[in-house]
Amino acid sequence: MSNSKINTEDKSLPLGEVDGALRGLIDQIIAEKGIAKNALIPILQSIQDKYNYLPEDALKYVCEKTEITPAQLVGVAGFYHQFRMEPAGNHIIKVCVGTACHVKGAGRVYDAFRRELKLTGKESTDKSGNYTVSEVSCLGCCTLAPVVQIDDVTYGHVQTDQVNQVLNDFQAQRNKKSKKLFRTPDGNEIKGEIRIGLGSCCVASGSGDIQKAVQEAVGSQNLNVRLKDVGCVGMCHQVPLVEVVPNEGDPILYAKVKPEDVKNIINKHFEPPTLLAKFNQKVGKLIDSIQSDDNWEGVERYSIDIREKQVSSFLGKQIPIATELRGIINPTDYDEYLSHGGFKAFQKAFEMKPTAVIDLIAKSELRGRGGAGFPAGSKWIAVDVQESETKYLICNGDEGDPGAFMDRMLLESYPYRVIEGMMIGAHAVSATHCYFYIRAEYPLAVKRVNEALRILKEKNIIGKGSPLNVEIEIYQGAGAFVCGEETALLTSIEGNRGFPKSRPPFPAQRGLWDKPTLVNNTETWSMVPYILRYGAEKFTTIGSDNSKGTKVFALAGKIARGGLIEVPMGITVGQIVDEIGGGVANGRKLKAVQIGGPSGGCIPHWLSDTSIDFQSLSGVGAMMGSGGLVVLDETDCMVDIARYFLSFTQEESCGKCTFCRIGTKRMLDILNRIVAGKGKPDDLKDLEYLADWTKKGSLCGLGKTAPNPVLSTLKYFRDEYEAHINGVCPTGSCEALISYTVNDNCIGCTKCVQKCPVDAIPFTPHEKHSIDLDLCIKCDSCVQVCPVDAITKGPL
Amino acid sequence: MNDKTNISASANSSPLGGGQEGAVKLKINNKTVEVPVGTTILKAAEKLGLEIPTMCHNDEVEHFTSCMLCLVKDGENGRLIPSCSIAVNEGMNILTKDDEIKEARRTSLELLLSDHVGDCEAPCTMACPAHMDIPTMNRLLANGQFDEALKVVKKDIALPSVLGHICPAPCEGVCRRKPIDGAVSICMLKRFSGNVGQLEEIPADSTGKKVAILGAGPAGIASAYHLQLKGIQCTVFEKSNQVGGIILKDVENGKLPQKILEKETSVIGRLGVDFKLDTTIDKTSFEKLKKEYDAVLIASGSISEEQKTWGIETNTKGFEADSQTYQTKFSNVFVAGSALKSTKLVIRLLAQGKEAAESIAQFLSERKVVGQPLKFNSKFGKLVIPEYAQYLKESEEKNRIEPANGVLQGLTKEEVMDEAARCMHCDCRKITNCKLRDYSDEYHAAQKRFAYEERKPVRKFFTEGYTQSETISKGIVYEPEKCIKCGICVRLTEKYQEEFGFTYIGRGFDVEIGVPFNESLNEGLKLVAEKVADACPTGSLSRK
Repeated sequence: MSNSKINTEDKSLPLGEVDGALRGLIDQIIAEKGIAKNALIPILQSIQDKYNYLPEDALKYVCEKTEITPAQLVGVAGFYHQFRMEPAGNHIIKVCVGTACHVKGAGRVYDAFRRELKLTGKESTDKSGNYTVSEVSCLGCCTLAPVVQIDDVTYGHVQTDQVNQVLNDFQAQRNKKSKKLFRTPDGNEIKGEIRIGLGSCCVASGSGDIQKAVQEAVGSQNLNVRLKDVGCVGMCHQVPLVEVVPNEGDPILYAKVKPEDVKNIINKHFEPPTLLAKFNQKVGKLIDSIQSDDNWEGVERYSIDIREKQVSSFLGKQIPIATELRGIINPTDYDEYLSHGGFKAFQKAFEMKPTAVIDLIAKSELRGRGGAGFPAGSKWIAVDVQESETKYLICNGDEGDPGAFMDRMLLESYPYRVIEGMMIGAHAVSATHCYFYIRAEYPLAVKRVNEALRILKEKNIIGKGSPLNVEIEIYQGAGAFVCGEETALLTSIEGNRGFPKSRPPFPAQRGLWDKPTLVNNTETWSMVPYILRYGAEKFTTIGSDNSKGTKVFALAGKIARGGLIEVPMGITVGQIVDEIGGGVANGRKLKAVQIGGPSGGCIPHWLSDTSIDFQSLSGVGAMMGSGGLVVLDETDCMVDIARYFLSFTQEESCGKCTFCRIGTKRMLDILNRIVAGKGKPDDLKDLEYLADWTKKGSLCGLGKTAPNPVLSTLKYFRDEYEAHINGVCPTGSCEALISYTVNDNCIGCTKCVQKCPVDAIPFTPHEKHSIDLDLCIKCDSCVQVCPVDAITKGPL
Repeated sequence: MNDKTNISASANSSPLGGGQEGAVKLKINNKTVEVPVGTTILKAAEKLGLEIPTMCHNDEVEHFTSCMLCLVKDGENGRLIPSCSIAVNEGMNILTKDDEIKEARRTSLELLLSDHVGDCEAPCTMACPAHMDIPTMNRLLANGQFDEALKVVKKDIALPSVLGHICPAPCEGVCRRKPIDGAVSICMLKRFSGNVGQLEEIPADSTGKKVAILGAGPAGIASAYHLQLKGIQCTVFEKSNQVGGIILKDVENGKLPQKILEKETSVIGRLGVDFKLDTTIDKTSFEKLKKEYDAVLIASGSISEEQKTWGIETNTKGFEADSQTYQTKFSNVFVAGSALKSTKLVIRLLAQGKEAAESIAQFLSERKVVGQPLKFNSKFGKLVIPEYAQYLKESEEKNRIEPANGVLQGLTKEEVMDEAARCMHCDCRKITNCKLRDYSDEYHAAQKRFAYEERKPVRKFFTEGYTQSETISKGIVYEPEKCIKCGICVRLTEKYQEEFGFTYIGRGFDVEIGVPFNESLNEGLKLVAEKVADACPTGSLSRK
């Protein structure tokens, strides 16, 4: 995009000569999406779905057939990262560089893919046109970090030396025809229920295969058990999860289940095995070729009783409000939602006067869960007092924080609950039209919400003519973190570049299409039914003085048990890490906890008793943010963490205002040279100066909070910055400041020699190896493959 | 008036505040002002006659809040807010200037400058001690406008033809063409201007002030020339029997024909300057001059032992005077030339004479004496090889023309026009009306403060059909690396419904403004090219 040519010779076809098939397709898309400006992003998304990029001829034809001008179209297409202007390869490799993946070496994995595919410079597609490699900000599978997705297949725990295996596996799997086996239970007597977690982490970890294996096993044995897909149960560090609920006896939760284990699990609880070993073997083989991780172990060792100590402490400290019914209900099963008290809150609200509902929310002291913690009641009142025939209501599900996936989980697992919250809000503020704004990167969330909306519409619960008389639609974001900012989100729905606006006027006064608009975050909406059902008092008994209720966090990073947690406000950082997360992984020491992602900050280990509420977090220089909680251990470099977050916000800056567009870039310039060992004595002073002004001078929240990760690490870990300026990365993380050497543990096994992608280790079997530092690219492959820890990373 | 009533026919144009009526009273810098509901702080301040700096605001289109120069302080909470887009509230208390606001604006400018690759003045102008506007002279000569060219030269150089013979031409040393096919022959061109150009110079009405100038060397002559034109009567006291000082050496060594010197000094004489030759000034006569004249300029060359007794402070090099204003501790006594510090570079002496004249004129009209401070100047250094192609779009590929009949004969008229056309227009077209430059000057922004990375390569795009011989006002130039992303051009082309217009391409730090679908500049600007060029706050878009 940056090479925009003005006077270029290669003019493409005049509009009239566009290929007929393309024209037909686009006519069809336009017929479906409309010709107004607000149809632009959906039109572009549809075109890209077909072509995997946006062909210029197609775009010109869109301009010809709609009200959209070339300037609007090109402006929008270039703003959102979802859109490609160049053809991509047949398969798209997405390397997740979210926070959790970053701290586990995703950058090196990305480099390894590029090396494997021989990509140079700015190339992202290999010569054969088979693969396109890209970095994505978060796939939301933080507990499987580092994660790589190739098309629809997700690989977890990918190491730099496994890149080749991953590609081979992907190829092998493609050549297989997937089996479509589905067994509908037909017996009257159901012996129990098998619940399969189908949250993204579970799906990513292979629960789809588990589901198939279960269906296959159940189907082939004619078992009378109920199969049930459940949403996220929050134990993402143990995925894939299968829960067996026999009619008699305690339910048993099996964690990290392998597909070939499925049959054994089922047989243990239900009928004895009757199937041929041959078939068994066949399934096993299929699974072997899919699963490249060789760390799987036997089923028995991984069967976990939910009442055992570790897990109960994992779940015990938690209070599920937004995640109520976790692991119990099928996300899109309407009847089941009803049977668990679903829509009771709405019914109650609907019988109340709208102002009474608002009063209740105000009394509950619910604060927005999107980051800033603005009192929800005040927002509702502000919309309510506006006199307008048309009012909009938005569920902000544009969760872009690279270490957070709460919204995604809520939308995937509890779509009805979020919708119910919105319905209550719509009744309270007399909204006439509701939108979900959901990241396009969350296809499963979109699918589930869509399904739920369809069912509700069929039942005349929503839509024009329903008692509430409100339409609810989904709007898919197109890849711009800034669109989580409410003014940018609204202008994006209108079909524009997602530029934020200065406030006031606030969206409550002049929002979508200049109408009063109530914007709340997904998690906020999912709290609302609880408050209606149990009352404001009950809600206010949970939490701390200034922050009531619970908060959902994505606990990830160097933690023993990561996953989604929902904790009461006021719990301390230390309690989360130790009591819920089971402490730092691999027996390492806690260094800091990063809260709030790119807008937040690092809380050092000596402030672990900081409680989780809006005030105390900002008091220590962090922020509630959207709820990413990344645990860092003693091996994590704080300068690198700061640089990581800043490079994220810098990349996501919309470019509108000077302080954010250039201020974040200049801060990043300084951090880049510090981690490259080229820092200067004045750099920290300049960095603080720029951070200070970027905070004060930026237009929107993105810029105003972008310096936080830098400021908080400077505050608590200044000595690490100073060490870098003196040429030392104390944790040995910053590539430019470390080197690799072979120590005396070496047994001369040559594994490293074979893995080294640049032949920097000579082939000397049975002798101590050596590394040619001139050739070494510091990819870490040798460290990972060495069976005896004989490679030392150290200062230069 | 509501700032929104002018916005384009876009769908977003309902009045602020949902159609509330009435007026709002607020305080700006402690002055009360009443404005209609929905008025922005910027416009309310305007009503009080307070100018708030802004670059991205344009009255024709909706505000955008990009440059952040318009930050003002909300007195209630001390927060900085963009005045261009925030509407007034009843009882607001706004501050438009204090140290923090100033620093905010300076920082904003410095950030913009760190991503602004462009020269204000051409390198040749900056290298010239007299800061002569060389590119303009070149363009006028190329166009055959010799009289106008001379006028440009004489604004800074009192003796054009003389210098055209003897100047070592530091300007040519930095000419961007030098590494490819030879510097533009600036010195010869200047000589030609002096030889051929006709200029009727009429001094301004007499101010009644008179100045004594000691020394008829280059500094004294130049100073007399510039002062006399301002209506200040000059008397030049010269101890020898000739006018010219150090220049006479070049007459002796044959570089400069005597008649050229005579011709150009007599022009100055005809302006009314009184040359008193064979007149030596000593301490006594100096004291007398100090009383008889409104000001005295000492430009008599390196100082003598006797001069050290005149009561003016001295240092090892000469008299002590302010380096910007040339003023001594006696407010009516100024020093220029080798009397300050020995130099043989005539152009520097002329420059000092000119600058001292400016200081003296300021002093005599009781203005603050500041001399001729250099305005803020953005520069980006040398061109790299691929960039020459961009710059040559404005010129022709052609070797430097050397005078066929020897250096003394100089260039013919045809040669002059061809040679001048080699100039690549390194100077910015918005040199006098660039907001970025003006504000950077006002807020003392340092161009390189945040220059942390290698500069971007520069590009130039032109509307087609441009040839050198067309007049300057035809066509549009787009220099993307000077753009500050304010988007005025995007909003204007949208408002006037250009078929293609301008748009943002990409986002964030790498965003560029361009014509959609890689269309040409001509396609992008069919309707409002000149309006857009004029509205651009920098030299990114300009008229040719």
